[in-house]
Amino acid sequence: MFRYTKATALREVLVWAFALLTLLPFYFLVINALKPDEELLTTGSSTPPSRPTVENFTEVLTATGDSNILLGLLHSAVITVGSIAGLVAFGSLAAYVLARTTARWGSVAFYLFLVAIVLPTQLGLIPLYIGARQLGLVGSLWGMIVLYVGTLMPLAVFLYAGFFRNLPRDYEEAAALDGAGPARVFFRVVLPLMAPATGTVAILAGLIVWNDFFSALIFLGGSDNQTLPVSMYYYVGSLVSAWNKIFAIVLISMVPILAFYLFAQKRFIQGFAGGIK
Amino acid sequence: MASITFDRITKRYPDGTQAVSELDLAIRDGEFLVLVGPSGCGKTTALRMAAGLEEISEGRLLIGDRVVNEVHPSQRDIAMVFQSYALYPHMSVRENIAFPLQCAGLAKAEVRERVDRAADALGLTELLERRPKALSGGQRQRVAMGRAIVRQPQAFLMDEPLSNLDAKLRGQMRAEIRNLQREYRTTTLYVTHDQVEAMTMGDRIAVLRKGVLQQLGTPEELYESPANLFVAEFIGSPPMNVLSATVTRAGSGSELLLGSQRLVLPAGALDAYPELAGADATPVALGLRPEALRDAAGADPSWPRLLADVELVENLPPEKLVHLRLDAEPVVTEATLELAADVDQAAAEDLRALGRGSVLHARLPGTTPVREGTRAQFAVPPSALHFFDLSTGQAIAPQSPRLAAATA
Ligand SMILES: Nc1ncnc2c1ncn2[C@@H]1O[C@H](COP(=O)(O)OP(=O)(O)OP(=O)(O)O)[C@@H](O)[C@H]1O
Ligand SMILES: [Mg+2]
Repeated sequence: MFRYTKATALREVLVWAFALLTLLPFYFLVINALKPDEELLTTGSSTPPSRPTVENFTEVLTATGDSNILLGLLHSAVITVGSIAGLVAFGSLAAYVLARTTARWGSVAFYLFLVAIVLPTQLGLIPLYIGARQLGLVGSLWGMIVLYVGTLMPLAVFLYAGFFRNLPRDYEEAAALDGAGPARVFFRVVLPLMAPATGTVAILAGLIVWNDFFSALIFLGGSDNQTLPVSMYYYVGSLVSAWNKIFAIVLISMVPILAFYLFAQKRFIQGFAGGIK
Repeated sequence: MASITFDRITKRYPDGTQAVSELDLAIRDGEFLVLVGPSGCGKTTALRMAAGLEEISEGRLLIGDRVVNEVHPSQRDIAMVFQSYALYPHMSVRENIAFPLQCAGLAKAEVRERVDRAADALGLTELLERRPKALSGGQRQRVAMGRAIVRQPQAFLMDEPLSNLDAKLRGQMRAEIRNLQREYRTTTLYVTHDQVEAMTMGDRIAVLRKGVLQQLGTPEELYESPANLFVAEFIGSPPMNVLSATVTRAGSGSELLLGSQRLVLPAGALDAYPELAGADATPVALGLRPEALRDAAGADPSWPRLLADVELVENLPPEKLVHLRLDAEPVVTEATLELAADVDQAAAEDLRALGRGSVLHARLPGTTPVREGTRAQFAVPPSALHFFDLSTGQAIAPQSPRLAAATA
């Protein structure tokens, strides 16, 4: 049995305290999402509602038009999944070539990707918007996927390349001698071994895309294809904001992420710990 | 099955390192050839060129009659066992062994059957559903072998496949690999730096030093007639004793001057060596295998005798390994230093610091009367003498092959 000593007991108390502290925003989120409209202005944001209600949830879930949360959820999901798929497919291939080529252009290209990570996306927003409009990508889910795959590609390539560099060449050489062509070597041997890298890319890119408000607002503005963060924005008024509704939406938008996190937790940790065992 | 031919192959790495120089080597159809040499001599490089994993700088590589310099590894129809085994960690043992067959496009049923058969031959049947991570070193070795044999390729290439196993398992796997190879009669190129492995496994052995082939021959040929000092000292354990000596004419026969001692050779002992028999006072490097030093009592009286101080007697039943000190100069060449340094750097320093006198190893029967701290007499059969050119290290070969003389 585990026994507490003074030191371990103290450490546990501290860890618990820290955990509670990080849960504090979540507490505000929940109590305010359960508050009826009348109490919103009369009570402080830290006091729990005297008559908790799920009204806010039913209201935002049944809203139509621009504030249709369920549709926003669906659009967000389509864009996120599509972007992750594109990033995994193209990012892994590009990074593999860059990590394995001995030609000089390989390192040049790699550094170009690095530069693209460092430069802020906003810098290229206007030309990007003009280009996207000319290609007919503005306002469509497809367009958003293309946009995200493009702008997050440097991140995906950078993450994948790090993993590929640490992968011993033995596996690829063994597969080649076993009679596998380059495509089979990559898809049957290399990519499955890169599962931790794929998890890392999927989670990092997925979070960025899921939470992105700015590009979605600009590139999808005025269309019927709003994402969740943009739909939520409808409840932010210039004079009054329906914070109880907004908090309800925030809670709803967290559900898929939490579900995914619980599902992929093991990979998540493995991916950040790095390397394959 | 096919032969593998290295035709004047040179490998230069991009950084300028010349790892293999004009290697001429033919591995015959069905033969088990061992490529052996100290660390860094280019064995792996040579093997990887045969596999197609390393570009060939100059020369031609043939599998059968086909020049394969430009052929992709996947098209060469050869299997390789890696030092790290390189088993695919995300596949079960069954999937690992099946992989080459799937690449060859075999039908599912046939793949299953051949994997089962290979697993049976290697005693892996129980382990087929396990992942490589859940296997012991020896079992992983077997899976790697299974992946190699299942396709029945033209040739096997193996790069120190046993170096990750403990001594006992290594001995066992040595025999297993040889048995498998005999059964399938597959041409094999086997790389090792362990001369014992080379001697016990090879049909023929190629000794490589700094990328240059030193000698190619059967284990017996290498042991009985090494082509130069390097091979002489590399093959055999304990290694051959090498001393500087002078051959002089004395009356009708010859004498060997060894430090302060004078060994009279029986008449006609050097007849096979016209270079030595005719000349007057020729300095040579004299090579003596540990078993060439015999107890003087009861030995052929015509054999020359050698007096030496017994420094240490190691009991190694059924034999005794005896360390002797003699006042003759040791021969320290670049090659001997390199071999010593391969063991460890301190050994090389010791060699340099020996100063006067040299240490000899003798392998004597357990019944030998030799005692530590005494001076004893040893008999040396004249046919067991090896002579080498002091400056080049090349063997001064007898004109009739020694093997024939020894077996006659
Ligand atoms: N990729 C490379 N680039 C430059 N030099 C290399 C490269 N690979 C090997 N070498 C050099 O070539 C020489 C031969 O190396 P190789 O790996 O073939 O030796 P080896 O005989 O297999 O040694 P070991 O017994 O230690 O495995 C060494 O001097 C090594 O440093
Ligand atoms: Mg090697």
